[in-house]
Amino acid sequence: MTKQVTPNGFTLDDSGQRVVVDPICRIEGHLRIEVNLDENNVIRNAVSTGAMWRGLEVILKGRDPRDAWAFTERICGVCTGVHALTSVRAVEDALGIDIPANANSIRNLMLLAQHTQDHLVHFYHLHALDWVDVVSALKADPRATSELQRSISNWPKSSPGYFRDVQARLKRFVESGQLGPFSNAYWGSAAYRLPPEANLMAVTHYLEALDFQREIVKIHTIFGGRNPHPNWVVGGVPCSIDVNGDGSINMEWLNLVSSIIDQSITFIDQVYIPDLKAIASFYKDWTYGGGLSGKNLLSYGEYPDHPNDWSQANMLQPGGAILDGDLSKVHEVDVRDPEQVQEFVAHSWYSYPDEKQGLHPWDGITEPHFELGPNFKGTKTNIEQIDEGAKYSFIKAPRWRGHAMEVGPLARYVVAYARGHEEIRDQVDGLLHDLGLPLPAIFSTLGRTAARGLECSFTAHKMRYVFDQLMANLKAGDTATANMDKWEPDTWPAQTRGVGHVEAPRGALGHWIHIKDGKLENYQAVVPTTWNASPRDPAGNIGAYEAALLGTPMVDAEQPVEILRTIHSFDPCLACSTHVMAPDGEELASVKVR
Amino acid sequence: MGDQQTFYEAMREHGITRRSFLKFCSLTAAGLGMGPEFAGKIAHALETKPRTPVIWLHGLECTCCSESFIRSGHPLAADVILSMISLDYDDTLMAAAGYQAEEILEQTVQKYDGNFILACEGNPPLNEDGMYCIQGGKPYIEKLRYMASHCKAIIAWGSCASWGCVQAARPNPTRATPIHKVIHDKPIVKVPGCPPIAEVMTGVITYMVAFGELPELDRQGRPKMFYSQRLHDKCYRRPHFDAGQFVERFDDEGARKGYCLYKVGCKGPTTHNACSTVEWNGGLSWPVKSGHGCLGCAEDNFWDRGSFYSAVTNLGVTGGVEATADDIGEVLAGAAAIGVAAHAAASVVSHMKDGSKGDSSHD
Amino acid sequence: MNSTAAAPHDPASREPVYVFEVPVRVWHWLHTFSFLALAVSGYLIANPLPSIGGEASDHFLMGNIRLVHFIAAYVFAIGFAVRIYWALVGNRYARELFILPIWRGDWWCGLLHEIRFYLFLSKDTPVSLGHNPLAQVAMFLFNVLGTLFMIGTGFALYGQALGIGSWADRLFGWIIPLIGSEALVRNWHIMGMWLMLVFVIIHIYMAVRADIMGRTSSVSTIIGGWRLFRNGRR
Repeated sequence: MTKQVTPNGFTLDDSGQRVVVDPICRIEGHLRIEVNLDENNVIRNAVSTGAMWRGLEVILKGRDPRDAWAFTERICGVCTGVHALTSVRAVEDALGIDIPANANSIRNLMLLAQHTQDHLVHFYHLHALDWVDVVSALKADPRATSELQRSISNWPKSSPGYFRDVQARLKRFVESGQLGPFSNAYWGSAAYRLPPEANLMAVTHYLEALDFQREIVKIHTIFGGRNPHPNWVVGGVPCSIDVNGDGSINMEWLNLVSSIIDQSITFIDQVYIPDLKAIASFYKDWTYGGGLSGKNLLSYGEYPDHPNDWSQANMLQPGGAILDGDLSKVHEVDVRDPEQVQEFVAHSWYSYPDEKQGLHPWDGITEPHFELGPNFKGTKTNIEQIDEGAKYSFIKAPRWRGHAMEVGPLARYVVAYARGHEEIRDQVDGLLHDLGLPLPAIFSTLGRTAARGLECSFTAHKMRYVFDQLMANLKAGDTATANMDKWEPDTWPAQTRGVGHVEAPRGALGHWIHIKDGKLENYQAVVPTTWNASPRDPAGNIGAYEAALLGTPMVDAEQPVEILRTIHSFDPCLACSTHVMAPDGEELASVKVR
Repeated sequence: MGDQQTFYEAMREHGITRRSFLKFCSLTAAGLGMGPEFAGKIAHALETKPRTPVIWLHGLECTCCSESFIRSGHPLAADVILSMISLDYDDTLMAAAGYQAEEILEQTVQKYDGNFILACEGNPPLNEDGMYCIQGGKPYIEKLRYMASHCKAIIAWGSCASWGCVQAARPNPTRATPIHKVIHDKPIVKVPGCPPIAEVMTGVITYMVAFGELPELDRQGRPKMFYSQRLHDKCYRRPHFDAGQFVERFDDEGARKGYCLYKVGCKGPTTHNACSTVEWNGGLSWPVKSGHGCLGCAEDNFWDRGSFYSAVTNLGVTGGVEATADDIGEVLAGAAAIGVAAHAAASVVSHMKDGSKGDSSHD
Repeated sequence: MNSTAAAPHDPASREPVYVFEVPVRVWHWLHTFSFLALAVSGYLIANPLPSIGGEASDHFLMGNIRLVHFIAAYVFAIGFAVRIYWALVGNRYARELFILPIWRGDWWCGLLHEIRFYLFLSKDTPVSLGHNPLAQVAMFLFNVLGTLFMIGTGFALYGQALGIGSWADRLFGWIIPLIGSEALVRNWHIMGMWLMLVFVIIHIYMAVRADIMGRTSSVSTIIGGWRLFRNGRR
């Protein structure tokens, strides 16, 4: 290949200089990106390689379905809890368990809190350094920084003295010669466009957000006992409520939840959103990274308002699919339909009997097959260059009706926008208006980052709504938190299948399960990063990461700031894109999971 | 390194008074369960030592340990990272990527050979030549071995690094292996838990930086200050256990009253961790307090001990024995009883046959 | 043929023999009753009785069950220690439990014979003064090793409650990393109880059966100490 056009409309050209970025840092897990640059340092080919596998699905085989949430929760500790929630939903779906209204509200609160905290941490601690030059903050005038801060927000920590102190702390840190996590980075690169004052403000909020994120997750601690990795239970939530008692959730704890919600709303609306707008205003013309977002987007819909009703009309954030950028039509998604969600492995380190075909997760096969293509460079244990013409990633290629889809906050926002969701429309239109940008501007790296910020505000405010719903239900005398009618395996059918889905911080997440004789017979997870970081499929469609990198000019081929910026805008989670593998190539049959 | 700051200098430069610094030292001493006389030692240690370089590697994992670490309230994670240690490499947090990131490892080996702490989160897989975890095109195990050979001591964060954890659960398809089984020549502190409590993590690293040595370890290599007791022994629901008051199923009357969770599978009686004392997220709550039993996540191979919702679990026999000791025992005892009865019957029959031939075995 | 060929006493003489001395007999019954107390209380610790209501301070049910378990455990362990002492100073039969004479050919012949006998392949009733070889194997595996295992694992677990550095932890704490984890030790401790219970069932059956059908006394021997002989076919 030198030049080719993919079926989903992207032009690839691998003739130019190859640049390898491995590891991609500030993500969860291990990811490798390779790109080809043309003579103008513009990315013309992109290869995304998931570089880790843990095999949780094969480990789950034969286990008690009620225990599965704890295993799947450990798929990811960053978006902690989302796999656990998906798992209990899948088991409840398989067994026909309806959860009580309070359990629905508490689960929604926990998921909303997760989104809020995860988005906040992502923006400041995993993503900001792609836009913010830490060292430049040393040149800032604290007084001007204070003025900038006061011009964009009511946040009280805005005095010149405050910024002066932070700057002094930063100065000493830099001058100590021990730069810690800021060592060897790309400070001073022309890719950074913020004035020193904005950089100082952002660095200050980096530290404030690191401190504040601890508060948001306390909602998990109250209802689930801890964070990361709170506890869940099939049939509801493990915590009981006795408002008048002292042995379970009572008024004091509910008040604490309420107070955390208030603080979260304040922090997000007074710090995160103003920072987002301020930073975005300096990068308005950096319009790269759209990739698949202007074409194909997928969201399952989230936050069932009333329990046990999975219709999109009942979702606080309705889902669906957009194809070919046509916002006038939102396609309904049926996760049970074998023709819709399918996974391909032609370019993944797995094998299928027929690799031209995709398989629905209920029928999913996962047989590992680590094999480097004929054109790779290096040795098996020292890969210098991947051969994307062959198998090249531990990530499968999921497709919806054969289309590569982008998932995540931007997908959710565009789908809800297309569905006419009023609140989300107001948010999006408001931001675009403030920045003076047209709607298509959101189909970009910056759009992805902006949608995450807007969603963070949305989820913080929705916590208030759900909390009030919980209180109203308690006031009405309903204190049930778990339905234990079908807890015992002797109440279960001999064989059953189920599916659970959640909109995780990083996008559409589904678990497909098969229960036989009280044990898990098959477990397949199709996770957000599998969608976004997917390699090519048999037809040659490229995935969302690869598509988003194309056409981006790099200021300096040696400094991958632009690659990091776009990849980070997806908030990759590589541990999530876990699939099954065998002990060794010869004994595949013994761990074959069907 | 002339430009290396001591911890005390760093704090003074960050505008912290000597008085606050000493207060911090006594709080740290108290937090580590040590008497006030140790505050002076900590202060002295922090005043004279440059910030210790820490290299934080990630193998197969879910990153819950890092997430937990940044939840630390005392000391704040930001203060640990910026003032107490020098976190020179941590692919989850660091600004650089690609070869600029990997360069730091080599620089560290050159500058601080034998003087940096290696913090390991996650574990290396050994199958497929280690290529189930690829970093920089190479197997993670190579990076781990190389850095370990130059470090001063290793912290094994979490149950992955300490025991193997979820990816090492049966059948452990990647042959994920805990640190102490691949690195044999360096002191290792295990800080198990999935994840460990934030303040336990910062407590361990603070201790190592302040004292320049490993904390006192128990037989299995865990710091005694956090892992010497079972949750059960300091559980605030213990009186209900002793009284015989149990939650029989979730959301029953006992659950609302905060009874003991043992019968719904709490593993507190066999789990060593600080949950019931330090508690989680700033001492707010912990799993048992919220109403769910302990999963036993700080214990070796807790994934393969059978149901999280049963008090008696399985025997850890490889090959897929899911039955609990009680299941097997009841079957064996039943079989013995039946066997005895059958043998008795056969004896009588045999005896009568002999008797009919007029040839009794005893007369 | 008889299995304890080296015995000075000829079973054919049919004279009663003093086999089990007083300490052995006392220990047997202490061991039995402490085991039963341990098994019942242990089962109830693993599988508690239905929850009771009221104030926690009004009840101490689980606490008392555990107390019974621990008292019985001390009786069980100290009794066994004394029994080991008696093996050193007592008569030849006091040692049979602890030493399998695997170096002796006739012992193996006896073992084979016993197995054939209990499978109804041989009509010859074996005669032993002390324990027959098959019983000796069972005793050694399930009772001696079983008791040691239960004492070791039990006190290892007990040491976790007493705390690091307690006598039980120092003496037996090493067992936990050896087996893997405390949960695993606990589960094997429970399994050990079941295996010993299986032994008890078979042991009682064999003893009663031997009394009824065999040529020597057995139940009365462990009470009175004397082995009596009936006429037998040779």
